[in-house]
Amino acid sequence: MGLANTFSNRFIFIFLLAILVSSKVHAQILTKKQQDSAFLLHPGQERIRKFKKSLAKTFVNFTGNDLSLYGSLNLSKQKINDNDITAPINYLYNNLNNNSYEAGFSGGFRMDGIYNEKHRYSFSFGINRITVGNYYQNIYSLAPFIDDFTHFKADNVFTTINIAAHYKKLLPVGDMNKYKFYAVIGPSFDYKISSISEENLINGAGNKAIINGDFGAEFDNKGYYVLFAHYKFGVNMKSSSVPIQLNRFEIGMSIKTKDLF
Amino acid sequence: MKILYTLLIALSTFTFFSCSKETSTTQVKVMNSLLTNKNWYLDYSITDAMTSTTPVVMKSYVGQSTYFITYLKNGDTKDSDGITGTYSVELINGASQIHMQLKTSNGNPFEVIYNIISVGESNMVLSKLVSGPATKLYFTTK
Repeated sequence: MGLANTFSNRFIFIFLLAILVSSKVHAQILTKKQQDSAFLLHPGQERIRKFKKSLAKTFVNFTGNDLSLYGSLNLSKQKINDNDITAPINYLYNNLNNNSYEAGFSGGFRMDGIYNEKHRYSFSFGINRITVGNYYQNIYSLAPFIDDFTHFKADNVFTTINIAAHYKKLLPVGDMNKYKFYAVIGPSFDYKISSISEENLINGAGNKAIINGDFGAEFDNKGYYVLFAHYKFGVNMKSSSVPIQLNRFEIGMSIKTKDLF
Repeated sequence: MKILYTLLIALSTFTFFSCSKETSTTQVKVMNSLLTNKNWYLDYSITDAMTSTTPVVMKSYVGQSTYFITYLKNGDTKDSDGITGTYSVELINGASQIHMQLKTSNGNPFEVIYNIISVGESNMVLSKLVSGPATKLYFTTK
């Protein structure tokens, strides 16, 4: 848990730094104190300035970046294959299996921009609280009496941090000066930061990393806000004795931070 | 380019540490949690055939006042026949077993080992380790 926090802190730091660098620099009038201070040597500031400069060089083709806050509702279901579990454990199938989408929520930041003045993109970083419906593919029984059962009990509530990179294609729909519709596609990555139950670790089943393929649509209302609907198809990043397919629908809204603060 | 390298290294480290944290005791812990603090009532016993020509013997105790056994969280066990002792769940060469050190009501010690065929929240199947045909015991928590 502590380790996960350390890494999530590192991601937040890198992300915030990238945002800082991408923001526009405005000319300003220096106060007397600032003018005096300008003559002094500030090694820390100098390092930051160099770092910003290097970032600006690296991302010179990424322009028009707008930072937004987003929130969304998630509907999630996971498909579980417990074929490789060898532990002699049974969980009654009807108690666990609910082949339905359950609601969770997400929140975070996203940055929208244009690459090479042609290709629209968005990068996002967020936290998801996922409640998931579980569909167990395999049903077992043990005569004469045990009802249908499964060997594995998957966690149905967990928290992840998520990073995503999406390519946005502007669709020629309606008055494009006012409203913009986009088709969106791209990868995303989830890392579970909540603890995993011991039932989920048996026979090497535990897996914290999920890699997703995302696609969906977005509606930009004159730049005031963006409504989006994404579908995410995720699988375990590392091989596992219990391969899981995580299907998610994400419906939400993002608003530019400069309009909020 | 520095930031790209930093991102790449951070992501790789993330992936590296995303392996499971299963330990050697995880399975035993889970089986223990399913086993303990319940009365397990014997519903069926099935004894395998002695030879290919003799039949499988199945006895049903459903609906009867039947044998039960309890495994307590502190490692003690007691059954409806008044036999008490201690137990431990062990994983030996991939086989999950219950080892019981028991005493009869007269105080005579003896050991019983069961193979766990399956254990759940309300169902359990054990196989007694004895010479000769194996007997499977089917328990429920009622």
